[in-house]
Amino acid sequence: MSRRSFLAGSAALVALGVAGCAPSSSPSGGGGGVTLRFYEQKQEVIAYFDELLRRFEKERPGITVVHDSTVAIAPQFVRNEPADVGCFNDNLELARYIKRGVLGDLSDLPSAQTVRTDIGELTDQYATYPGRTSVLPYSLAAAGVIYNKRIFAEHELPVPETWSQFVDVCDELVSAGITPIYATDRDTWTLWQGLFDYSVGSLVAPGEFFARLKELGTDVGPDSEVSFEKDFAVPMERAKTISSYFNKDHAVRAYADGNLAFGKGEAAMYLQGPWALSQIALVDPDLEIGTFALPVSENPEDRQARVNIDLGLWIPTASTHQDEARELVEFLMRPDILNAYNADNLAYSTLKDAPPQQDERLAGLQDYVDRAAFYQGAGTFVPTSIPLGNYLQSAIRSGNFQGMLRQLDADWRRLAGREATV
Amino acid sequence: MTDTTMYQRTRRRVEPLYYVFLIPTLLIFTAFVIIPALIGIFYSLTDYVGFGDWSFLGLSNYAALFSDPRILQSYGFTLGFALVTVVVAQTIALALAVALTRRIRFATTLRTVFVIPMVVSGIVVAYVFNFLFSNSLPAIATAVGFGPLEESILGNPDLAWLSIVIVSAWQTIPGALLVYTAGLTSIPNDLYEASALDGATPWRQFRSITVPLIAGFILINTILGVKGYLGVYDVIVGLTGGGPGTATSSVAMTIFGGFTGGDYAYQMANATVFLIVTALISVAQIVATRGRAVQL
Repeated sequence: MSRRSFLAGSAALVALGVAGCAPSSSPSGGGGGVTLRFYEQKQEVIAYFDELLRRFEKERPGITVVHDSTVAIAPQFVRNEPADVGCFNDNLELARYIKRGVLGDLSDLPSAQTVRTDIGELTDQYATYPGRTSVLPYSLAAAGVIYNKRIFAEHELPVPETWSQFVDVCDELVSAGITPIYATDRDTWTLWQGLFDYSVGSLVAPGEFFARLKELGTDVGPDSEVSFEKDFAVPMERAKTISSYFNKDHAVRAYADGNLAFGKGEAAMYLQGPWALSQIALVDPDLEIGTFALPVSENPEDRQARVNIDLGLWIPTASTHQDEARELVEFLMRPDILNAYNADNLAYSTLKDAPPQQDERLAGLQDYVDRAAFYQGAGTFVPTSIPLGNYLQSAIRSGNFQGMLRQLDADWRRLAGREATV
Repeated sequence: MTDTTMYQRTRRRVEPLYYVFLIPTLLIFTAFVIIPALIGIFYSLTDYVGFGDWSFLGLSNYAALFSDPRILQSYGFTLGFALVTVVVAQTIALALAVALTRRIRFATTLRTVFVIPMVVSGIVVAYVFNFLFSNSLPAIATAVGFGPLEESILGNPDLAWLSIVIVSAWQTIPGALLVYTAGLTSIPNDLYEASALDGATPWRQFRSITVPLIAGFILINTILGVKGYLGVYDVIVGLTGGGPGTATSSVAMTIFGGFTGGDYAYQMANATVFLIVTALISVAQIVATRGRAVQL
């Protein structure tokens, strides 16, 4: 206990230290210049955004922007000293800030009108604040089944369009002595992100399901209108079948093992998002890779891609430089800048009439993004206080996915009982 | 009258330097441990998420806590783990200490070697063992055809806890070993010589001389050991991440999950309960062993 308190204490001290180092966001005396703090912590693109910020400073003399890339988002809000502009994954964590109204309204910004409505609506699925557009979607990541094109070509396997075709492909790979799917159970997020989300998304629309689930609250159960046990039963049968095609040692493999193994061509398919592609390229830059949306029904029309708003822009109401912060947001939202960012970083633009993603490895998902045939993963709607990834670990091992669903219903009821579902 | 004056004079004679030593530590401890703990206990009675508005809930977080099977399971796991590990680690540490204080070859070198695990950070140790359990051990088992270990124990919900016991014990034995070595060297050798003349066997000597004389050291090791094992966190993060399933989720891990999961107040209630449980266990240990130590 005391060791933990000590760690927490030191973490707080470090956080204070970092904040202490950052130039104060109050107007500096000399020259009347303004210093903005820009929060963005996605490791892979920190240098990219640094360059954008320098460009902004050149175009807009008098404003200096400091890049805050501390990992945890909570401390700045706990201290009530949030950054002036945030650029963060739009997920359940950000939803808590939206719901409690600490992010300001951006709907009157000209750039807000340029965002695709069907993408803007995705942010509302987690949480909304009445009358506000709290987040402007900046970057959309789309994920599906990553597959090794060489292995598929060598065994003359088609890209599956229905569930039974998918099972056939897996069976043929098994009889050819090839691991169909590489899974990494030890990093439990990879289980819900891939297996769980892909199995559910094309059969049950997660946004609507969880909206109903929230309304039901403590009434969720086997007889309620919607429940995990009832609505996710078929998806989890799919998940169970899929998990039977995993590599033999999936239980002890971690995400890094998976990227290495897939890069070395040790498996035909990998249930991961575009973030894994750069890691795989480190192993074998010439590996021919494609992506398809996992079919889980017999109707090819049902197929959808899993998407998430990888980055969204927001301005906390506590920022003392609202005007300058909005200028920075407008700058970043400029089509030439936003589209270039997404083209360069294996993601999709969130703007109307954006050019397609050119990367061949992701080409298979372009059509889904264009048609808005996408969903935000069911796992992303489950609060982290429900250890979904750990439950999946057990279910894969025991095969008892139904038990897991009942557990999820029970956990949901408990969370709803103390209003902790967002 | 004179007695009282004497007493007061004695009391006044306390060296002021002691207070000078004490006060900074006391201030730091109060500012960084006691006050945050009190604030945490207060927030456990609210629905605070770490920022923004909150309202007072009373004890409902505590009520929810005791009906949450995942929380109860984490307590069961943590207490069982602490009990097993303290027995395993203390037994091995005491045996090693006895061996190393005898005049065996390379005793000094061996003592240095055995202390190495203590200076390596827990998370590093855990990752190294993770590799051994996931790759090396199954490979060896497959090579020699030993079925039960061909699959990594980390992936087996019934056995994963063993890996945490092994690594935690491996890591904490050196500390206990040092304390026992100090205890053993404080026992005068003539006691052993005298008892040997009376025909006592080494086992009898151990039971009747060694154990009673180092009982104080056993007590301090057990209390510190149990307290440390109850807070087990880094070793689990590096080995199993609390899995498979939730088989190896410790209390500290569920508490920490509350900070990122928006369950701050609820897990503060958990932390408060855990603080009380830990304190009670320590007090119980002290009471149970009070007066057992023999002074020469």
